[in-house]
Amino acid sequence: MDVSLRSKVDQACRVAEEFTKLYYEAADKRRHLISRLYLDTGLLTWNGNGVMGNERIQKFYMDLPPTDHTLNTLDAQPILDEAVNGQLTYLIQVSGTVKYQEKVPKTFQQNFIVTAEGGKWKIVSDCFRLQEPITEKS
Amino acid sequence: MSKKFQNKTSWKNQYSEHDFRSNNSGERRLNFKPNNKHNKNKGNNKDWSHAVRVHFNDEDIDMGFIAGPSKSGNKFNRKGHRSGSPVPKPMKRKLWEGPGGWYKVVLPYGNKYDKQFLQQTLLEKVSPLSFMPIFWKATGNVATFYLDDFKVAQKLQELDYGFQMPDGFKLLIKVHPGSPNVDISQEMKEKMKLAMANRYNAVNKALDLTKFHADPMLQEYFCALYKPIILIAVIDIIGENIPELEALSLNDNKIQILSFLKKYSEKLKNVKILHLGQNKIRDITMLDSLIGLPLVELLLDGNPLCDKFKDQSLYISEIRTRFPKIMKLDGIELPPPISFDLEEEQTLPTSLQTFLCNAEGGAIVRQFLEQYFQLFDSDNRQMLLQAYHENALFSMTMAYPYGTKDKNSNWLHWYSTDNRNIIRVTDSERRFKLLKKGNVSIISFLKEMPMSNHDIMNFKVDLTVFTPIMMSLTVAGMFKELKSGHKQPPIRSFLRTLIIVPAGSGYCITNDELHITNATEDQVKTFKSTPLPPPAIIVTSPSISSPVAPAVVPVVPVANAIDDATKQQMVQALATSSGMNLEWSAKCLQETEWNFERATLVFNEVHKQGGIPAEAFVK
Repeated sequence: MDVSLRSKVDQACRVAEEFTKLYYEAADKRRHLISRLYLDTGLLTWNGNGVMGNERIQKFYMDLPPTDHTLNTLDAQPILDEAVNGQLTYLIQVSGTVKYQEKVPKTFQQNFIVTAEGGKWKIVSDCFRLQEPITEKS
Repeated sequence: MSKKFQNKTSWKNQYSEHDFRSNNSGERRLNFKPNNKHNKNKGNNKDWSHAVRVHFNDEDIDMGFIAGPSKSGNKFNRKGHRSGSPVPKPMKRKLWEGPGGWYKVVLPYGNKYDKQFLQQTLLEKVSPLSFMPIFWKATGNVATFYLDDFKVAQKLQELDYGFQMPDGFKLLIKVHPGSPNVDISQEMKEKMKLAMANRYNAVNKALDLTKFHADPMLQEYFCALYKPIILIAVIDIIGENIPELEALSLNDNKIQILSFLKKYSEKLKNVKILHLGQNKIRDITMLDSLIGLPLVELLLDGNPLCDKFKDQSLYISEIRTRFPKIMKLDGIELPPPISFDLEEEQTLPTSLQTFLCNAEGGAIVRQFLEQYFQLFDSDNRQMLLQAYHENALFSMTMAYPYGTKDKNSNWLHWYSTDNRNIIRVTDSERRFKLLKKGNVSIISFLKEMPMSNHDIMNFKVDLTVFTPIMMSLTVAGMFKELKSGHKQPPIRSFLRTLIIVPAGSGYCITNDELHITNATEDQVKTFKSTPLPPPAIIVTSPSISSPVAPAVVPVVPVANAIDDATKQQMVQALATSSGMNLEWSAKCLQETEWNFERATLVFNEVHKQGGIPAEAFVK
């Protein structure tokens, strides 16, 4: 058995657990801090709307109605070295429900690419999708 | 209830008397006098006491009579005696205005006459009033129908034994408040749909169901919206056929109760204009079940609840508590409400189907997805082997979407065994085991997965990383699960994240995370089965010269849906890979029913045994 793969997988899972806890806490309760979780050049795509750069992401988040996320599933893998030049990077995928302003919860899925930079885990890419029919062709 | 019973008893008497038609009618009439017990019952029933009082007032009779049941019976039948009364007959039973506003008319010998002739006669007799007999039914000699108009009901009641029919008999007409029990047959529902379609204005997204029961298309049914079962059926039809509905008029339908609508109001979620005028809604709390509708205009005029408010501003405020956006109430424009700046509704940004962080990546992504999912939906997922890196990782999670955990949802059992949800799976060994490692183990898992048909046109695609060494692609959409033992092939929803790297002249997947869930009701409505097309690859960008990984492999569609163009391509592909000429390649494919994988296998085996003649390789 590939020992190094095994330890990478273990670590990916642990980081995913810790990361999602912090991320959704920030999104629901401490939005003014959320930019710190992203790389300066990080990307958020929210239901197909792309927001580039951690400061813009911060602003985008501040403009969203208040949220309350609940996670149902969580999955994580280490991304293969070939794709990331050997830099430690994880792919995290989440599903759950989100309430906007106390309304009926909506089901969502979300994935993150998280990489180690300067001793901190930072989001390279954050892709969020509500589970709903397509409303507008783009 | 006992009142109904009383009436029945008295008709019974009438019917039996009718058999002796030659008798003097004056005496027999006495039997039709309402029983004294009637009034006792009325007194006990609050809803009815009001109606009773109205009648006494009409006749200028001392209110004190209500308390004296023995007297009131007599007083009640006195109208005929009063001076100037057009009806000379004594002892006429007085019709009460029932709370439902519906009246049953029984013509004990009505079916002896031609239906149309009888209806015409009655119409002439009640003129200048008019009516439409609803739910006309004939059993034996008896004809019954229903009426929605108290005045007409009264008039018909007065006409009882009041005029002669051509056969010399006087027509018996028995009227009392009431409505039938209703069941909705499929046929009735279809008629309702048609009637609603006629009343729908697609331009304004407006549906006018004013006096729905009187619709000429529905006359043979008792289609009264005051029956919850009918109103629910109507709302179901709206939800299924015109969910975009913005304006709904339910005026003049004798509606009393709305509280049961809470569960159904979601189907009216776009209704901004609602007319409920001229109904029988008694209390404002009845509207609570509609809270959440984005109403800007509401009409309630003509309902008892409106009379309860002495103060207009209180009325407006009660309405606005429930529907804060109301701008027009009972036809009057309201001043805009004053609110706090903080309470301003924050809306969600509009969703977009596709995000591409790099426009150039669009063509590659489209091509990759088309090829990947065509192979995935074929009966030969083996071909996806080349689409994965030899050390690729794959894992899957599953969950039921919010609010669909009921018995009707399609179980996701198949996916639960390999559900790598690390919230639940906490053991690190198991977490590692559930991860499929390497392309061979991934393909063998993909091959085990139920057959599928993806709705490719409705995919939501996000390309979030696009560099020369890596792409990150998120695909969300739906697929129909085939041959998995469900009665109806279930529609599943999925979201899949793929990390893709260049490989040789194409690309391959290094990481694949798949989440599977059930499609919601709203999603299912938009599902379109993608017919398995010939590999019509829409490459618009000329910069794409290198094929993506699976492109080197010909696509193998489902055997019975192969068109000639595809067959040609398969023949070409087999000729290239086997070295046989086109004729023999075609023969081989025909014999294996156009299953490319089998054709290749058969060729290899037969060729190994030297079973293929040399002429097969002559080009």
